[in-house]
Amino acid sequence: MGFDERHVLPSLRLMPYDRLILVAGRDTFRSAGFRRLKALEPELRTVRVDPFDLTDALESIREAVRRAAAEGPVRISASGGTKILTNAAILAAFQEGVETWYCDPEPVRLPVLCGVRIGAAFSAAERAIARALHSPIRHDRLLAVIRDQGFARRTVLGAVHSLAAKGLIELEGEAGGVLVRPSPRFALFRDHLREVPKKA
Amino acid sequence: MTILFGTLGWRPQSLLPSIRSTENLERVVFYHSDHAKSRDARSKVMDFCRSLGVTATAVEVSDAYDLLHVAGQIRGDIRKERAAGADLRFNIAGGTRLMSSAALLVCILEGIPATYVHDETYQEIPLPLLRISYGEGLTPKQREVLSFLVRNRDKDFTETALAKALDVHKATMNHHVRELESKGAVARLSDPHDARRLIVKVAPGMDLLIG
Repeated sequence: MGFDERHVLPSLRLMPYDRLILVAGRDTFRSAGFRRLKALEPELRTVRVDPFDLTDALESIREAVRRAAAEGPVRISASGGTKILTNAAILAAFQEGVETWYCDPEPVRLPVLCGVRIGAAFSAAERAIARALHSPIRHDRLLAVIRDQGFARRTVLGAVHSLAAKGLIELEGEAGGVLVRPSPRFALFRDHLREVPKKA
Repeated sequence: MTILFGTLGWRPQSLLPSIRSTENLERVVFYHSDHAKSRDARSKVMDFCRSLGVTATAVEVSDAYDLLHVAGQIRGDIRKERAAGADLRFNIAGGTRLMSSAALLVCILEGIPATYVHDETYQEIPLPLLRISYGEGLTPKQREVLSFLVRNRDKDFTETALAKALDVHKATMNHHVRELESKGAVARLSDPHDARRLIVKVAPGMDLLIG
């Protein structure tokens, strides 16, 4: 939500809910729009973020979604607040696999696959590589380290190529072998790579 | 060679850092609205590209207030360039909220590396997106069922009719439909004319997932 409740109200009217959690910046919580909304919804819970910092907003929304998901089904309305806050909400929705709507003013459902979290895109071998990869390492050394954890050679080779295709590692030829290095984007996914997917 | 895509609002500064930082930049394609200030910004970006000797294509988005329409348009352009073998990246910092969100949606669905530019520092910040198509969250068979339902959106299919149309056993189709339903991609609704029949319908927005 931004400074007024105009983008929130259509969502409240169109989507049934039991609990309402509002994500916004500090100034929003001092606005008349927020006071009006609070009067309508006394049980309203709030999550404060920096609405101009996408990374902060994304992490806060992901955390709020996870906590709320432990209590019941979650649905996101992503059309209020700053452009950065909206984009953070959309990213969080796709990363956490949460049904998401964009109401501006007509509701549009975004094609999020419910329950499919971004962590599901990584195999066990890819996670093992990510845990072992902190700095550039020779390909054969990495292979040996991961194979020691019980993975087959072919599985590890496939996982290395898969991580490279996803843009998370870079393979670099050097004298006497290939060097595997984390890409600049690797750090953005460290949390997701650490997660252990739930069994179906 | 890389093609940089971008969304542009009133401030060229939201796009220029990406034009400067993109290695092997071959071309810039950017989307803007028909607002006078947005057209001014377009001229500045075009001048800047000209000064660097980089080709630029400005696309005026006719209906900048329809998320799916804008996303569909951007996605079509992205797929065309990708099919031609270009490396792509996207700056989603500029433009209206809707235009920027539409671009983000396309980047997520297509696995395009994307950045935004900080409003005050003009620093480029990479977004946490994987270079994989989001549709890979479905199995090939689930994608086939969903594509079929999207193509035949105006018709009603029961699970049995779907199984027949796609030449699979109805128990197999039941499994695929249940999986798709659990992911929110389809819904099974009662037939208004025969309450015993369940019609399988695509959830709204899934057209974009299939492309």
